[in-house]
Amino acid sequence: MKGARMSKKLLLEKAHVEGIRTYDVYRREGGYRSVEKAFKMAPGDVTEEVKKSGLRGRGGAGFPTGLKWSFLAKPEGIPRHLVVNADESEPGTFKDRYLMEFIPHILIEGMIVSSFALGSNVSYIYIRGEYAWIVDILEQAIAEAKQHGFLGKNILGSGFDCEIYIQRGAGAYICGEETALLESLEGKRGNPRIKPPFPAVKGVWDRPTVVNNVETIAAVVPIINDGGDEYAKIGIGKSTGTKLMSACGNINRPGVYEIDMTISVEEFIFGDDYCGGIPKGKKLKACIPGGSSVPILPANLLLTTAKGEQRLMNYESLSDGGFATGSMMGSGGFIVLDEDQCVVKHTYTLARFYRHESCGQCSPCREGTGWMEKILLNIENGKGKMSDIDLLWDIQSKIEGNTICPLGDAAAWPVAAAIRHFRDEFEWHVLNPDACLKENYGLAHYADPIHIPVLQ
Amino acid sequence: MISFNENSLKKVAEIISRYPEGKHKSALLPVLHMAQEEFGGWLDVPVMDYVASVLHIEPIEVYEVASFYSMYNLQPVGKYMFEVCQTGPCMLNGSDDIIAYIKEKLNIGVGETTADGMFTLKTVECLGACGYAPMMQLGKNYREHLTKEKVDAIIEECRTKAN
Ligand SMILES: Cc1cc2nc3c(=O)[nH]c(=O)nc-3n(C[C@H](O)[C@H](O)[C@H](O)COP(=O)(O)O)c2cc1C
Ligand code: SF4
Ligand code: FES
Repeated sequence: MKGARMSKKLLLEKAHVEGIRTYDVYRREGGYRSVEKAFKMAPGDVTEEVKKSGLRGRGGAGFPTGLKWSFLAKPEGIPRHLVVNADESEPGTFKDRYLMEFIPHILIEGMIVSSFALGSNVSYIYIRGEYAWIVDILEQAIAEAKQHGFLGKNILGSGFDCEIYIQRGAGAYICGEETALLESLEGKRGNPRIKPPFPAVKGVWDRPTVVNNVETIAAVVPIINDGGDEYAKIGIGKSTGTKLMSACGNINRPGVYEIDMTISVEEFIFGDDYCGGIPKGKKLKACIPGGSSVPILPANLLLTTAKGEQRLMNYESLSDGGFATGSMMGSGGFIVLDEDQCVVKHTYTLARFYRHESCGQCSPCREGTGWMEKILLNIENGKGKMSDIDLLWDIQSKIEGNTICPLGDAAAWPVAAAIRHFRDEFEWHVLNPDACLKENYGLAHYADPIHIPVLQ
Repeated sequence: MISFNENSLKKVAEIISRYPEGKHKSALLPVLHMAQEEFGGWLDVPVMDYVASVLHIEPIEVYEVASFYSMYNLQPVGKYMFEVCQTGPCMLNGSDDIIAYIKEKLNIGVGETTADGMFTLKTVECLGACGYAPMMQLGKNYREHLTKEKVDAIIEECRTKAN
């Protein structure tokens, strides 16, 4: 299938211009205009534009960014901080890395404008420790921006001071959770805090703090350049603007794609401009559309909603049907499974991931993730019992909603969705302990057209 | 005596200056990275105690952090550490085969180091390279789209560099 048209690009349009990593080329291509423009506005008006844009946080939860900014407490005499979340550790997600690696100045530019809006004179980028070489790229960009007067004291004569520092994490998915991230920035273990107080009131060093994802902050650049209203015109409903999707798994063209949120899931998977279909002409079995924590969907429910409508690549359409028949946009980590993949094994690797990453503060998460991993491994290896499937269901339901931070939910949902939609594959493993070691269940009926009941 | 050289001490002071007055503990993660790099690739207790003294914090505060984050090695590791990702998306693209191949080729298990102290094999969870799977982290960089041939070449490359 041929892609009908390319989506409009706001973040990655210039990402492959030769030399765009350098200040000179970035500036020549129109970079840092949004800073000049913002300084002619009042900080509150910058926030107002972000509100108008309808931008929703790109870190996973999709919370409206302008609204979040307006919650920031501004007590007299206490400094505030912007902290950019570049921890990017959700399996399937590698879009922030791409942005920072290829067009680092857009993040720095977005941070200067956002820091101005929020009144943050010292802003931080918290980046996962493994992205060590990206730290060098960003530090270079920061040094260049500073050299050209876009960082430091009295930027462009505006009276606004701003410094940006990078903090490297050291291997812990949980530090992507905003309060764990702040603990880590304070030099502690990444144990999430109990909320409230929220970071907007008491964040890093007890100061009011805004934590935003890399992509969210980069999106502030086109919002200020073009105006919030223009940004809001792209997309459908509450899915405004463009979204970076990182696509992986069994597809011909894995990588990072900037989409406007009007294209269909089918076009995204099979279109030549995007994932380019599945290798060796294999069939689509299942997909996790928004990073490992969001529900997996079988092919039929992925391409079409339970109502029989074509499913689109946006917040509302991906979650249409709730957890019963839908999923979520999440962080945009799009993981495709072909007909030869085993859902039990894949779910096992995710359960192992969450067990490994649990910080251990809450017993449902600490113990439950370990149990789920063990039971899933048993089922995968043909050593499971039928009752194990119900036990798994029971454990996940007891983790969900009973923990300090949402990692517990993130661990429970993939297991719940796998059982909900692929229960017969789990049962097949139990009933065929020898066969399941040699072959996989296959495509089964997961790609069959959905039967839509006719309402009387 | 364990001690950072003069340049590193300057770097430590620069890192501390990034945080508000009195919040020098925030420098712990970056300084531990420096210490691990300078003092043999892992954090022995005397090294952690030294970091505590440099940052004027209690040793326990350093142990707590060093034991929480997976990138800090609390035991010696080989000169080259192969950290192969095994999470879902990498698994879909054959990370199991790559891990098996490295085991066979280096004759070690996961978590072990070759007798000559040259290589350590570790499995890790998603490193944010899922679209370029299978992959491993080697030092400061990623090696992506791994095949058996690429693994052979990387091993050769390390051996050559070490000589
Ligand atoms: C376990 C866990 C891991 C998370 N990891 C990340 C991450 O790697 N990057 C990120 O931007 N947000 C992550 N988040 C979401 C953050 O807590 C926070 O909501 C987000 O950074 C806010 O930014 P946004 O509003 O711009 O999306 C994670 C949340 C949880 C519960
Ligand atoms: S839910 Fe898990 S990761 Fe989150 S605080 Fe509790 S134990 Fe830690
Ligand atoms: S799953 Fe291996 S890098 Fe993400």
